[in-house]
Amino acid sequence: MATRELVRTGKVLTSRGGSPGKSKLAVGWARLRRDKSLILMTVPAGILLLVFGYTPMLGLIMAFQDYDLYDGILHSPWAGFSNFQQLFTDPGFWHALTNTLMLFSIQLVLSFPIPIALAIMLDSILSRRVRSFIQSVVTIPHFFSMVMVISIFDQVLGGSGLLDTFLRSHGVANPPDLMTNQGLFKFLQAGEIIWKESGWNMIVYLAALAAISPSLYEAAAVDGASWRQRTWRITLPGLRPIMVLLLILNLGWALTFGFEQMLIQTPAVGTGAADVITTFAYRNGIVQGNYSYGAAAGLFLGVTSVILIVAANKVAHLLGEDGLYRSRQ
Amino acid sequence: MTSAPHLSRRGFLTAAAGTASAVAAAPLLSACGTGAAITAGSTSANTLAKILPTYTPFAGGIKPDYPSIDGSEPGYLSYPTTLVHTVSETPGSGSTYNAIAPDWGAIPRTSGNTYYNALNAALGANMQWQPTNGTTIQTTLPTLFAGNQLPDWIEVPTFAQPPGFGQAVQTKLADLTPYLSGDKIKEYPNLAAIFSNGWQQAIWNNKIAGIPTVVSGFATGVFLYYRQDILDSLGIGTPSVNSLADLYDLGKEVNDPKAKRWAFDDIWQFMCFPYGTNFTPPQYIWTTDSKGNLITTFETEEIIEAMNWEASLFKAGMVNPEAVAGNTGTAKQRFWSGQNVITADGGGAWDAADVTSGTASNKGYVRNAFNFFTADGTGTPHVALSPPTEYVSYLNANLKPAQIKELLRIANYLAAPFGSYEFTLVNYGAKNVDYTVTSDGPVLTATGNKDVDAVVPILLASPNNVISNPGFPEVTRVSAQFVQRNAKYQFKPLFYGMNITVPNDLTTADQFAPFTGSGGINYIMYEVVRGRSTIADYQSTVNEWLRSGGTKLKAFMETVRAKYGDA
Repeated sequence: MATRELVRTGKVLTSRGGSPGKSKLAVGWARLRRDKSLILMTVPAGILLLVFGYTPMLGLIMAFQDYDLYDGILHSPWAGFSNFQQLFTDPGFWHALTNTLMLFSIQLVLSFPIPIALAIMLDSILSRRVRSFIQSVVTIPHFFSMVMVISIFDQVLGGSGLLDTFLRSHGVANPPDLMTNQGLFKFLQAGEIIWKESGWNMIVYLAALAAISPSLYEAAAVDGASWRQRTWRITLPGLRPIMVLLLILNLGWALTFGFEQMLIQTPAVGTGAADVITTFAYRNGIVQGNYSYGAAAGLFLGVTSVILIVAANKVAHLLGEDGLYRSRQ
Repeated sequence: MTSAPHLSRRGFLTAAAGTASAVAAAPLLSACGTGAAITAGSTSANTLAKILPTYTPFAGGIKPDYPSIDGSEPGYLSYPTTLVHTVSETPGSGSTYNAIAPDWGAIPRTSGNTYYNALNAALGANMQWQPTNGTTIQTTLPTLFAGNQLPDWIEVPTFAQPPGFGQAVQTKLADLTPYLSGDKIKEYPNLAAIFSNGWQQAIWNNKIAGIPTVVSGFATGVFLYYRQDILDSLGIGTPSVNSLADLYDLGKEVNDPKAKRWAFDDIWQFMCFPYGTNFTPPQYIWTTDSKGNLITTFETEEIIEAMNWEASLFKAGMVNPEAVAGNTGTAKQRFWSGQNVITADGGGAWDAADVTSGTASNKGYVRNAFNFFTADGTGTPHVALSPPTEYVSYLNANLKPAQIKELLRIANYLAAPFGSYEFTLVNYGAKNVDYTVTSDGPVLTATGNKDVDAVVPILLASPNNVISNPGFPEVTRVSAQFVQRNAKYQFKPLFYGMNITVPNDLTTADQFAPFTGSGGINYIMYEVVRGRSTIADYQSTVNEWLRSGGTKLKAFMETVRAKYGDA
């Protein structure tokens, strides 16, 4: 039932408990009846989430066990917190954690503003044909797999790639191999993501830009505001809610980001440069068969990610933004 | 090297990770959670002598052009025109079984597959052949074991054994001893013709647990190859390399990055041989120090010298940048295209398919291999053998005796020797459907190219390897002569052929995790040769391994050695 109709029929219920004089149960029931269509529509997604999201979480029990492949979760002996004790005293884990945060921060700082800038620039292009062309070109890399993205970078920047071949043919005896340079890797990985995702992320900002009323720009122009002032005073404030939302979502991925990207490039630059928490958990848990240890790392990762999201959302609310959902305050 | 022309070699050659597992001296009973008692340890020499299947070579086989010398694989220049029958009765009773094995190539269709249909008709069984992705086999198998989703018949390569595999052998896989021990194997004559060291590889804790496949009498794992045609074009001809210094000098001579030609790929897999040892599980990595105490090769001076030497290649810019970046998947393409002159690869890389791929890149493509040599060029080379096979198949413990016998009869069919009717069917499918006979031997038809994928049947059961490349006699000649020349250098390292079940608390240490990363990489060594880690880093990794279970594992292996011997 559309909101307008609910208003007309007087069935709109407040979010604070509904009509005065009605019990909470009655209000709850009324809400269910009101929203039954919406609830039904979410059931398939809920089932998917339950089966593929929550049920596998039961496997996290093995983080507290000395899991034996042949005995299974039901018969493996309990190990208490010993896996976590081992985890927190493992220099490899702390290296992976700090490396994760460092790589993520660099990637976020370098890649976050680019789609915004792209969207603002593209929005200012009047020719629809040119806009569509540019949008297509910058969006296409999103559909490439990470393997393909890294291969393309390797073909251009690798030791036997276009750049080095060019340099060798022009007398440079030992041109740098940018794909195996540990020091540059932090920027290389950010570059790969910028190239792959900026165009795609730009779409969200384009949609947000379209929602800004043109009358605001017209009024500002009449008042003599420059392009820079219009951008600073109208465009960016208009984009702020979506920027905050995406920033919070990004923080939620902080500890899980880059698994495939890092796994593929670990042979090229080593774990010293490319090991992140997810590859650490995969290598220890799956590859080396130390499942309990890998599960402990995975559980730590999940819990910390939740804390990060909740904290970021709280900060957003304190700053007056919606965040992931609208605050009751 | 194998005679199977369509078997993907990639897994055979590059797979260098995994574990062969260890043994226990004092049999140690550890009750696992399900209540089953697991015995740590191995098989005593006495028991081995009693249960080892009686080796009975195939009588009346075709005389090879290059007979086996010191265990080298025999070579056949041409494919026999008169095929013999080695199985007189249809082995199956019409039952349905599912069978899983890794496959590194394109997975063929299962419905309407002419090859599977022909094979199943000959076997008299409805075999459900299930190829599974070979590149992820190391993560697939633990899932199957953990989920109790084992098929009736499964291939478990030594390099992909799940942690603590010795436990699974005792609880989840069938004991074949009552059917195959001693002379009982004569009921299955083709299986009886498999070398004894192959069968030893299938024996766990006093029981025959599996069926060895693609067994070789000269299993080194890796040869050091070079592009003969490139050396010829540079006026070098057949190189004379008798030491690592010679190899380095040759590398300097052929290295030309400006022409996109580098001397070397990453040859770490080969680097153990000049030092007469092994560096990589599931190869045998146990040795003794000067006092006779058991140590791993990770703790020796040789491995440090080997790392330093290979690091010098990287430092000198003689290694292809793609190899520096660890792109192992394209190593063959680099060799075929001439971007690498020298590479390390398995024996199976030297075959007809290699010529086809190589000549597609370079018309004059010719692969050859360096004879084994010592690091300093003095003395006789000593080539430490790898396990006689990396492939052993197992039957499900839930099968009934009649089913086990039926599958063993089917295995006997699949293990028919080179030159037999059955061998040809297993490798090429149905005559005039999947292949036609030419003067060069069997040649696949268009249907055959689409449907014939012999990898799964061969990895479940097959005869001892031979060298045969129908239509490419020169490849057979050169490679067969190479193994004839070099097989005399082989020796059996400690614990050769022994499967060892380690106690539960040592399974992690037995994974040698600091040394073996994913994708068959010797991880910390990989970092050192690239200059990203130092020898000091390496030594601290070794110490960490020793602290976190390695020392305990060594003590356990000492008890195994004392009780069961070391070979």
